[in-house]
Amino acid sequence: MSENNPYIPMPVEISKIIDEVDTHDIKTFRFTFVNKDDEQKFVYLPGQFAELSIYGKGESPIGIASAPTDAGYVEFTVQRAGAILPGLVTSALHDMDEGGRIGLRGPLGHSWPIEFLEKKNIVVVGGGFAFTTLRSLVKYMLHKDNRSRFGDITVIYGARTPGLLCYKDELAAWEKRSDIKTIITVDKGNETWTGREGFVPAVCKDVAPSPENAVAVICGPPVMIKFTLPVFFELGFSKENILTSLEMRMKCGIGKCGRCNVGYKYVCSDGPVFSLAELEDLPRDF
Amino acid sequence: MLKKTTIDKLPELAACLMEKGTLVAPVKEAGGFNFRAITDAAQVDLIFHNTILSPKTVFFPQTEDFVRYSVYQPILEAKPVEPEIRPTFLFGVRPCDVKSFEIMDIHFTRTGVPDPYWRKRRDATIIFGFAFDTSEEADPAEFYHTLGIGAADPDGSDVFMLRRDDVLFLKAVSPRGENLLGGLAGLTDAAPDERKYFDDYIAQGHDYKTRYTCVDAEAIAKEFEAIFHNTDFWTKVSNACLSCGICTFVCPTCYCFDICDETQFGQGVRRRVWDACMFTDFTLEASGHNPRTQVYQRLRQKICHKYSFHIRKYGPISCVGCGRCTRYCPVNIDIFSIVEQAVQAKWYKRM
Amino acid sequence: MAISFEQIEQHLKTEALKLLESGKVILVLAYGRGYDANHPMPYVAKHPSDVDNIVFNEYCTANLARYLTRYPRRTKIAIAVKAADSRAVVQLIQEDKVCREDLVVLGIPVYGMKNFKTGEVIDSKTTGGLYNPVLYDILLGEEVHGQPVSSPYDVLAAYEAMDKEERWAFWQRELGRCIRCYACRKACPMCYCDPCFIDQNKPKWGEKSPESPGNLMYHLTRFHHLAGRCIDCGECSRACPVDIPLYLFHKKVAKDCEEMFGQAAGMSIGDKPVLVNFRVDDSDKILE
Repeated sequence: MSENNPYIPMPVEISKIIDEVDTHDIKTFRFTFVNKDDEQKFVYLPGQFAELSIYGKGESPIGIASAPTDAGYVEFTVQRAGAILPGLVTSALHDMDEGGRIGLRGPLGHSWPIEFLEKKNIVVVGGGFAFTTLRSLVKYMLHKDNRSRFGDITVIYGARTPGLLCYKDELAAWEKRSDIKTIITVDKGNETWTGREGFVPAVCKDVAPSPENAVAVICGPPVMIKFTLPVFFELGFSKENILTSLEMRMKCGIGKCGRCNVGYKYVCSDGPVFSLAELEDLPRDF
Repeated sequence: MLKKTTIDKLPELAACLMEKGTLVAPVKEAGGFNFRAITDAAQVDLIFHNTILSPKTVFFPQTEDFVRYSVYQPILEAKPVEPEIRPTFLFGVRPCDVKSFEIMDIHFTRTGVPDPYWRKRRDATIIFGFAFDTSEEADPAEFYHTLGIGAADPDGSDVFMLRRDDVLFLKAVSPRGENLLGGLAGLTDAAPDERKYFDDYIAQGHDYKTRYTCVDAEAIAKEFEAIFHNTDFWTKVSNACLSCGICTFVCPTCYCFDICDETQFGQGVRRRVWDACMFTDFTLEASGHNPRTQVYQRLRQKICHKYSFHIRKYGPISCVGCGRCTRYCPVNIDIFSIVEQAVQAKWYKRM
Repeated sequence: MAISFEQIEQHLKTEALKLLESGKVILVLAYGRGYDANHPMPYVAKHPSDVDNIVFNEYCTANLARYLTRYPRRTKIAIAVKAADSRAVVQLIQEDKVCREDLVVLGIPVYGMKNFKTGEVIDSKTTGGLYNPVLYDILLGEEVHGQPVSSPYDVLAAYEAMDKEERWAFWQRELGRCIRCYACRKACPMCYCDPCFIDQNKPKWGEKSPESPGNLMYHLTRFHHLAGRCIDCGECSRACPVDIPLYLFHKKVAKDCEEMFGQAAGMSIGDKPVLVNFRVDDSDKILE
């Protein structure tokens, strides 16, 4: 029963922990596979997720933050959850050190539609900590083997404060590159912040990416998405060319446990990536 | 091949099956009948209408252990639990419940990632279907006929059984059933007039009417899509709902589960446990967001899942009209009455 | 005196219509037709035209007080109550979960109610020995008098004859059958905690699996949460799909409370719930 059992996690080891934000509640965990076979089997694309599994605590579905081009490891950026339900898994993970071992089930769900994105101009819009699978996508597209498959790449990324931006070193590196336009914004800066200030929707309006042969890939807190979508409609992006990733409470991650449905779609196995056109076909029950 | 035995010789048949594997059959216990693994051949009781819990418990038990672990041991020490699955004879399943297995197969094994537990248990099991007694008046809670399932429908069974007074007829329906029946001692061949009785009974089973007739799944699915956001309708039909889990737990086609780590003194087991979309915390996210805080949203989810989402995703209605949800609902909510109100009497006609 | 269910139904309709038409209440919690006459359902009448759908017969056992806490405060509600149900209303008022002034209580004096699953007359199990509501604004009919009254605790005879070990074995066996559908707590008018302790995961009080430790934790804790509060409507046991006689424990605790503190739950708005009301002369028996 252990062979190819989709409910049994594979062991992984924490090889690196990066403290992402100044509130210390968001960390990126780099895992290496304990069994080399598992590494071979863990074939994924940006936008997919996996269940992080700690026996005695449970499992938590988290988007994959690394790119498939990052050989030998897989990364997840995890927020210590617990506004209402104590996030047992995320808390336990945050309390672990490098060298610690947990379980991993995945990759799960559908990725960003890479073939559909090819040869198109890509506008990546992210807010706060929901940037994880977008980071994966950007890293993937920027890789030297892949860059030529995509048109212009624009990244608009915002956080509430400078200290809450994730992947700061990478953002700085992207800003220096000529083959990607990187716009970083914060709702409110501080004394050392020299960059943009402003909410993501306003910045999108200001930057006004062309809808010509372009796809917008948007992830962020619900309020950001709510105000960003109209901006892209106004700019002329069609519903088919606006993509986002949904979140619902999940358990199995493989479309069996019946928990994460929105209408007739399971977010875990039919999503989590949906175009706006697809979402309009679903009831508003999320 | 039509065989027969008598009700008083049932324990002999049971004993014969118990030699070959695990026999699961209706057993009378406090509160009513349930399918249980038989330990004493005399326990098997076929004088029942239907069980409280559906026979899905055989393939999808309320708890299924995945992994045993110790919180003091590294993850590599965790051991997957090998379920003990022996050849199983599931005895005395009503035709509507047999149909439910086929519907659950689509979800568990025929689409997406196959569920290894359902598959193994299902593959190991030979099903003895059992016709309803059509001389009785139909149970008011049931509506399998409405959904196109006959009271004596042998489809999906390996062996199909029918009781006539104190005689029990058994007919092999599948090759697996044929193999098994051929090798069972104590059965005798039925006489030609009995074979005719059997065939007639099955044919007439389709005329045994429960509540309504003629249902167009596609049309119903569309109707529910159209009224999904009609909050007045859903509030009205859910006013009485207590939001307990009875309807989903007794249902033969409800498959939702939770995955729980249950630890005691450091030793634990990760297992799946039935869950219910009627529970308040079913969709409560760690962030505190819950898309279904209201009773009407949860009842809507349950009914639309069965009569709309499932049709669009998998084809058939996810309901076999066994009537358990209606029968055991503490406040008499009747799922088909809600369907009826939703489609405004367009797609069915009264019997 | 025989009970005329038709007459009660007629009174209920008349009063509901008056209340809705006058705007004194915005909804009436009553009973409506279910999928057949033997299976009536709790029903919410909101418009005068809904009143036609109201029914009352011997199968209208549901305790409508269960639904009161679902509506926000200051919602003007008329509620039809039988004897035990009225005690639930009183208890909810005592616990400040509903306001007396928001309610118009339509009292139903009745006996001979039947369990719709079994047809069994349930008076001895669930009326607390009462046929008349303890609180009402409008009485739908005349008070019942002269009907033989059995003590609500008579059904405890066999249970009380068991010794401690037997009782423990009894509950382990009975609660071992629980499938954790939570119908008991959902049918209970006094179970309004959100979230229920058993649904919390930190601390986690009991496991979700329908197995002994979690089942015992859930039921025994619930039994004790209802000590001095259970108003003996019997809805928990009636709702149970596997017929666990939960009422036995509740009745036993109610009896103990009555003996120790001289108070039954939900009898008077002026009472304080017995376990939150410390009196110097309280019995110390509970500590023994």
